[in-house]
Amino acid sequence: MSGVHPLHRVAIVGVAATEMARQLDTTSAEVSLRAALAALDDAGLGVADVNGVAARWAGPGGTVFQPGSADWAGVFGQPLRWVCDTYPQGVPGALDAAAAVAAGLCETALVFGGQAGVMGGSAVADYTRPDNEFIACWGSLTAAQFALVAQVYRHRHAPDPEQLAAIAAAIRNAGSANPAAVMAGRGPYTATDVLASPMVAEPFRLLDLCLATEGAAAMVITTTERARDLAQAPVAILGGGSEWHRQQYVNPPRYDEVWGLGADAARRAFDLADLRPHDVDVFELYDINTYEVVRQFEMLGLCAEGEGAEYLWEAGIGTDGCHPLNTDGGLLSYSHIGWGGPTLKIVEAVRQLRGTAGPGQVPNAEIALVTGAGSGAQYHNVMVLGRG
Amino acid sequence: MGGRTDELEDRSLRPLTGEFWAAVDRAELVRPVCNDCGQSFFVPQFACPYCQSTNWDYQPSSGRGRVYSHTTVHRPPTPAFTAPYVMADVDVEEGWHLLTWIVDCEPDQVAIDMPVSVKFVTGPDGHRLPAFAPDGAAR
Repeated sequence: MSGVHPLHRVAIVGVAATEMARQLDTTSAEVSLRAALAALDDAGLGVADVNGVAARWAGPGGTVFQPGSADWAGVFGQPLRWVCDTYPQGVPGALDAAAAVAAGLCETALVFGGQAGVMGGSAVADYTRPDNEFIACWGSLTAAQFALVAQVYRHRHAPDPEQLAAIAAAIRNAGSANPAAVMAGRGPYTATDVLASPMVAEPFRLLDLCLATEGAAAMVITTTERARDLAQAPVAILGGGSEWHRQQYVNPPRYDEVWGLGADAARRAFDLADLRPHDVDVFELYDINTYEVVRQFEMLGLCAEGEGAEYLWEAGIGTDGCHPLNTDGGLLSYSHIGWGGPTLKIVEAVRQLRGTAGPGQVPNAEIALVTGAGSGAQYHNVMVLGRG
Repeated sequence: MGGRTDELEDRSLRPLTGEFWAAVDRAELVRPVCNDCGQSFFVPQFACPYCQSTNWDYQPSSGRGRVYSHTTVHRPPTPAFTAPYVMADVDVEEGWHLLTWIVDCEPDQVAIDMPVSVKFVTGPDGHRLPAFAPDGAAR
């Protein structure tokens, strides 16, 4: 076994996403279960094969004990060997599950979650206005926290508004072409449309910002040995890493502390993968807002600080560009399902590497980068995926 | 808090942060200062983030600082807030910072590095809050 990194002994063998909508007529638990069963089906596995679960209990019902993941043993009708109340899902969930499988704590882990029946009535999702003591009293929302970071960037680097808006338009047009996207068929959008949309929290306009929608996503992780017998070509976790700067939304994020957030995690992830950011064929980046997309290219070192918008303008971010990104329409246009949202990035990356991504398919994609969280949230994580 | 909803919560009873809010209610700004390393910090927490000492006290702040960053919010998270308002991260001169509002000026007049001073205002729930106003603004 020496010489093989533990993460390289596991693979992602199943993924699924449910239907996505502004509101679904079901519960978070039920939509999460649907995603979990669909991911198992995708892998050619059944509930009986699962012995690890990372999936907070979303309710209704269940326990007050943590981790809520253990509640799923009751739903699946069988004991589990490993549970993890991972926060959030997406990359941290995948890395936690991969580590558990690699260490032999379980053989097949299911990572899943989402939300439904929670978004009605309110102007913004509950989770975008955390009830923290020195934040809530000022009428903060997460977009405003990210805006505090973006404003310093704008002040120091004066990015071209049209080049920035073109990023949002391109991602939204990818969503327009994706039949599964909440915003399917809407558009096409131009940079002018983005710049004409209403201001939400300066410098972000409505079309710069992600959705808050309902649905669930899931993935199945097992050993490379087990993966050989399954329904899909496995996807390898080539590298990954996380950075936790501070707990989110307690104190305002500081540009000087968080604009480069993720650089260390990315360095570790690419070193483990023995690759460089230039080797990535398709980027599934956490697009909470337009500036975050720019930030991540600067963080990855693909361009200098302050030059991201111009760099992407010239490089191209469509399926025919130098850096195809957010090929499903991203959080801006496909869906953002709260705590389960980060997993959507992995679902799309896995489909890209299988060659089954639909209208956003990048020809011959072999290496994908997935990210989660961002500067305003004060944590960030990255994962490099490849054909297994 | 379990009390009648038409009565304001007594914020001075909050663990850890009660003294901060009691001072705000008297129109005074205070901040935690570590008795071991002398650093100011915010938000209040049980241990100093610079030296992990639990020996700290609230001390008066000058209430003078500069705008580190700001954003004008046009879509409030709840109807309780009336847009537009300017949220800002203000660096206070004792070496701590906090989320706040900039008041007493037009939103487009707020700028990074602008000198500001504390100005107590009433929040939408009826509680006093430590906002900041540009130096030289009409009081």
